[in-house]
Amino acid sequence: MREQLWPSSQSLGLSIPGAGALPVEQDESRLVVASKNGDQDAFSLLVQRYQRRVFNLVFRMLQNYDEACEITQETFLAAWQGLPGFRGEARFTTWLYRIAYNCSLKQLAARKRDQALQAALQSEQALEDEDHRSTDLTRLDNQELVQEQLSQLPPKYRVVLILRHLQDMTYEEMAEVLTMPIGTIKTHLFRARNLLKERLQAFEYGRKQKETRG
Amino acid sequence: MRCKEATYQLQLYIDRQLTLRQTRVLEAHLASCPSCQAELHFLEKVACGLNSLKFVSEPANLHEQIMQKVVLSTSRKNLAERQPVPFKLFRPSLAELLVAALLATLATLAILLQQPSIHALLPRGNGHDLLSLFYIQVVHMLTSIDVNTLILALWIVGTFLGVCITLAVAGSEMRTQWFKAMLERLPVR
Repeated sequence: MREQLWPSSQSLGLSIPGAGALPVEQDESRLVVASKNGDQDAFSLLVQRYQRRVFNLVFRMLQNYDEACEITQETFLAAWQGLPGFRGEARFTTWLYRIAYNCSLKQLAARKRDQALQAALQSEQALEDEDHRSTDLTRLDNQELVQEQLSQLPPKYRVVLILRHLQDMTYEEMAEVLTMPIGTIKTHLFRARNLLKERLQAFEYGRKQKETRG
Repeated sequence: MRCKEATYQLQLYIDRQLTLRQTRVLEAHLASCPSCQAELHFLEKVACGLNSLKFVSEPANLHEQIMQKVVLSTSRKNLAERQPVPFKLFRPSLAELLVAALLATLATLAILLQQPSIHALLPRGNGHDLLSLFYIQVVHMLTSIDVNTLILALWIVGTFLGVCITLAVAGSEMRTQWFKAMLERLPVR
């Protein structure tokens, strides 16, 4: 199910001195131009190149495999339809990630609306889930706990952590994708990590208490 | 350095965003502050947990599904572009409008000239110039034929003028379509 990928900078087409990044960039811009002119084969190559990164961003945002699949398709379709308007001011990948992020946010909002409608039905289920969660957490190690808690964070904090730690983006790249100033990116990262740190501290404190009691 | 400032810088330290000087100052503070050390310890645990996130494999047919949607959207777009939009073809050029106006003026003048008061105002030639000869010839022809033939002739000329005006106003695309439709309806091609 899971596997490690290429180094992210290579997949993103970032400049690595002496690593032959320039041909990748040239190749990407050639494919983007061809796609803008309606070349489906060129777009197919772009899809092949970036589908995993886009899928993983969407998957981590939505925490649902099937929904992530659907939203990834929606992202690439929106990119294909929006390509004639893509002026190339930002990198193609940056633009693509922005679409993916916006599609994910839209899906989360739609999900929230659905959940509000089914709130009464789900209230009992939620209580049961919470019981399961509390028992499951005790069996998790720190890494798993951090990953579990990541899914509980608000989307704006979750996305910065995903872009930084999973997609290995710099502050500047994140600022471009999320169309935010770098200062805001730093603040979101700071708060997001602090929230995770507090939860980890609380969890470790609880575990120690349990050990001393036992 | 105060602990509050150090706490903020710890995150930048983890992301390797501090300058060499800032790093040295922070490390000096860390060496003497157990509270900030504990803070760094937890932050490193968080960063380690986040860095251990791995890429999940997408469904095997994701690429195929995406390209299917792309192909479908393109064919839908092409189909929508091919369908005529109402009044989109109705774009007469300036020259076409001028021709239509000229023809309409001619048709109106012909009707107005039937009025005796206007008819009397027309300049009379001496009977030997070309215009007068043509005029006398036409009047002679009109008076020599019977009323039914005259009405039929006027109806044909009027209809022809009407069609010409309509086609001139309709624009080239509409004209082409009209000619094609007419040719298709012809019994012999």
